[in-house]
Amino acid sequence: MSRRLRATALAGALTLAISGCGGVGGGGDSGGGATKGSGALSTMGFGLSDEIAKTRVDAFKKDHPDVQLQITEGAFDEQQFLSAVASGNPPDLVYMDRKLIGTYAKRGSIQPLTDCVEKQKIDLGQYRQAAKDQVTLDGTVYGIPEFSQVRVLYLNEALLKQAGLTADDVNVADWASLPALNTKLAKVSGGRLSRIGIDPKIPEFLPMWAKANGAEMISADGAKANLTDPKVVEALTTGVKLIQDQGGWGKFKSFRDTFDFFGAENPLAKNQIAAWPMEEWFLNQAAKNSPKAELVVKPFVDRQGKPLSMSNGQAWVVTKGAKNPEAACAFVKQMTATDTWFAAAKARAEARKAANLPFTGVWTGNTAADKKIFDELYQPTGNKRFDDAVATIREAQDIAFAMPASPAGAEFDKAWTDAVNRVLSGQAQPAEALARAQQEATAALDKAAG
Amino acid sequence: MATTVTPPVPGRRRRTPLARREARWAYVFLAPWIVGFLVFTAGPMIASLWLSFTEYDVINAPRWSGLDNYRQLVSDPQVARSLGNTVYYAALHVPLVMLISLGLALLLKRVGRWQGFFRTVFYLPVMTPAVAVGILFLLLLNTQDGLINRGLALLGIDGPSWTTDPDWVMPGIVLMSLWSLGSTVIIYLAALQNVPRDLYEAADLDGAGAWARFRHVTLPMISGSLFFTLIVNTIASLQMFTEVYTMYFGNRQTQGSFNSDAASFYVIHLFREAFQFLHMGFASAMAWLLFLIILIITAVQVKLSSRFVYYEGEDR
Amino acid sequence: MTTTSQPVGTGVASTVVAPVAAPRPEARDEGRRPRWQRVLFVLALVGAAVIFLLPFVWLVSASLRPREYVFAPGLLPTPFAPDNYADAWQAMPLLTWLFNSVVVGVAAAAAATLSSAWVAFGFAYFRFPGRNLLFGLVLATMMLPFAVTMIPTYLIWNRLGLIDTQVPLWAGNLFGSAFYIFLLRQFFLSLPREYFEAARVDGASYPQLFWKMAFPLIRPALLVAFVFEFKASWTDLVKPLIYLRNEQLYTLPRGLKVILDRFGYGGEQQWEIVLAGSVIATVPMIILFFLAQRHFVEGIATTGRKG
Repeated sequence: MSRRLRATALAGALTLAISGCGGVGGGGDSGGGATKGSGALSTMGFGLSDEIAKTRVDAFKKDHPDVQLQITEGAFDEQQFLSAVASGNPPDLVYMDRKLIGTYAKRGSIQPLTDCVEKQKIDLGQYRQAAKDQVTLDGTVYGIPEFSQVRVLYLNEALLKQAGLTADDVNVADWASLPALNTKLAKVSGGRLSRIGIDPKIPEFLPMWAKANGAEMISADGAKANLTDPKVVEALTTGVKLIQDQGGWGKFKSFRDTFDFFGAENPLAKNQIAAWPMEEWFLNQAAKNSPKAELVVKPFVDRQGKPLSMSNGQAWVVTKGAKNPEAACAFVKQMTATDTWFAAAKARAEARKAANLPFTGVWTGNTAADKKIFDELYQPTGNKRFDDAVATIREAQDIAFAMPASPAGAEFDKAWTDAVNRVLSGQAQPAEALARAQQEATAALDKAAG
Repeated sequence: MATTVTPPVPGRRRRTPLARREARWAYVFLAPWIVGFLVFTAGPMIASLWLSFTEYDVINAPRWSGLDNYRQLVSDPQVARSLGNTVYYAALHVPLVMLISLGLALLLKRVGRWQGFFRTVFYLPVMTPAVAVGILFLLLLNTQDGLINRGLALLGIDGPSWTTDPDWVMPGIVLMSLWSLGSTVIIYLAALQNVPRDLYEAADLDGAGAWARFRHVTLPMISGSLFFTLIVNTIASLQMFTEVYTMYFGNRQTQGSFNSDAASFYVIHLFREAFQFLHMGFASAMAWLLFLIILIITAVQVKLSSRFVYYEGEDR
Repeated sequence: MTTTSQPVGTGVASTVVAPVAAPRPEARDEGRRPRWQRVLFVLALVGAAVIFLLPFVWLVSASLRPREYVFAPGLLPTPFAPDNYADAWQAMPLLTWLFNSVVVGVAAAAAATLSSAWVAFGFAYFRFPGRNLLFGLVLATMMLPFAVTMIPTYLIWNRLGLIDTQVPLWAGNLFGSAFYIFLLRQFFLSLPREYFEAARVDGASYPQLFWKMAFPLIRPALLVAFVFEFKASWTDLVKPLIYLRNEQLYTLPRGLKVILDRFGYGGEQQWEIVLAGSVIATVPMIILFFLAQRHFVEGIATTGRKG
């Protein structure tokens, strides 16, 4: 092997490596543009997992028979997505968690949807504000939101009764009262935790506790971390204390890991937990699996007693270099349109009915769709507990906030969850852990902005 | 890299034309590897070396940034932590795997008709998908209800918090890793069965006891396999990724997002930097640091073991 | 691994070239051992086997239980729910994926074994300038984490127009793979050189040495390499994940990810279906191993002695 040959081979490989980085469309047919809504259309990160997904995709196929839709199933995966992007051969559409959008938008791997919204006449007003905040970076919309998940407070009234309490005695606004309530409800005996009193659900829900205390963990433009705010420290301290009082993180987590929120043996049915904030979907599961449970759903509240909720979900984005942006845009429009959602919800309701199960609604990022679903399709189950819960969740949907899009969202998340984990595992005090997180997050955010 | 690679030639030949012809043929044999190396290894390696001096997010063209990544590498406490964890893991994992595998191989060697069955049993875990292994061990290691702590409770021991106590996370991971040591067992077994009988008979004639036979016949005769598994297991353990990622990092939506610093492995940190935070340049620098570390460790191992490894036909 | 063939130049036996039959060594002197030793041996063996088997038994058992009982304590599949398998089977084109996995696995394993043996012979037999350096490079290629070479490698396959085909899943193996070159070289090193020299004198070419003599002699080692690589290909998720988009081309691990995302984390955590899928994906591997291992482990010993 001569030297020259080797050098050439290396140079060749290097050129290959670099030439792929530019991004836009390598060698494919750019057949779009001529006739709207034809040609191939590929997606990534989405799966046809249930009737909600299938009904909507079928609707699109029916209205766009000329589009060859290729859905590469499986949840969003960074390696899969980035290698496709690097090769200049990305899918047209990607379905991803809304909190990832800021990062990809900042780097230019996904397209602003300004044109798409204009041409397809997508009514942005129909989407929930919190969801829109998550898909908007520097005033530009980069994604169209799908589902909307919010958090509410679940109470097991049977356990409250046992402790001589009612649902009204649980006052999340009064943080000072929580530790006493917690120890009263929890069951720790012989070194074993067998019932959780209050699960603060940290690290995940720390932003909601912080917000309840009047603090934003990140600025509205997603550029500045605010983790050393004493109110954030106080929120973390409060949450951690609730866990420490129940035998410590080790026992707490290992007990919670055995929970199965999706089955008949869920912790509500088994009286393993008394009070906990959680996503709205658990109501569907409870209605399905534990219709007799004494469930009470209340709004999570801030320290003034005002209802508060945190929202998140998925969104559709169009990649830069997408070969068929027109069809992609038509697809997103239809997938998130009011009528499509309604048809899907109807399919879900019918499926539930056929299985003799209650239908407790579908919550989307589209307010008009939700209104139509709950006004025309949803019927009270007849179980007052569930019906009240549905009403509570509907209100939570309307007031929920979301963590804003950030160009370094993933690193910001890592910084503060690491901090919480360090406190939980006893390696650091809240203030120092958050101070370190603030440093890490600030470095990442500054770098991403620059 | 060198030493043990003396060719198996008792009598050396000195005729240069033959040597030259041999060399030509040698390159014919090596050709596929050389081509593959240049295209699929050297190319990407050089590319990654170059990327390590840039800021590269996979999406936009790389931008030259000089030594920035390496400076950050030295000062980043997370890099140090994950490297420390990884070395700690390798230091526990490799000797334990070798010891236990050797023990199991010695047991297997004595099994008669049922050997096939037992071999399959010890190799089964290797064939179990990583995702299943991750889920499985999260359950087995559960502090309150896991099989392992329940077993310890029977012995009157209050088991540790395997998945949350920073001091116990790593031992828990090592425990999981030991479950899949089947490949090493198979390699040892093959080597053991290959020790010529006459050597043992000669040892018996000399009146050697069981230990002496093991020490002076078995160990030297399988030293090549020990060497091989030492190198390969060390390299693999320093690149530990899949199972731990599945256990502690890959399932954020559900069981909570607890991932302890104690479970942060070097390649996991690297992976997150590369694909989640889009710092491919920095990740490349991390990869090169790891590459150099592995290179040094391997070189030391090769150097040290060359004294103990015994090859047939090697003249010394 | 050094399979010691004929102990050349060790003072035990020096100049054996022709194949020699030898007695099977295993289980040779069980009868001679004291009773307590045999009891201890059986206890240790069975104990170890039980420890290794338990997690797997649990896995299979859990895959046979209804949803609510997946995580229940105990090792028996009660209540018994074999429907999980039917569900997993119906939900996904598992048969297609199984077929793809076999095709890709055989191609990957055959390519890796043949090319690595060829290269390993080059390293073991010949002496040439730069050999140690090159072999050091072979070892070194095992050390670079996959995560960083992944994107450049992907770009090469992309340039060759082979994305969304199964070619990148196995064709890289045509150039030899460090692990097997290392492994097989250890085997070749243990073959007595005189044997080959004699053939050389009789006029055999180097490729003939390789094909007709060396290759058959290390058949068991080749089987080891084949099985290891087949297993590696069988369980690899990353490559199919990044290279394949068409569901008809998926291999089982890629398919398992679909199942996991649809039923597991992404769905209603129906672990019973995910576990059933895992078992379906594992069983063919177990059968292959069970069939192959007899030949390879026992074969190594036999071949070694033939030298």
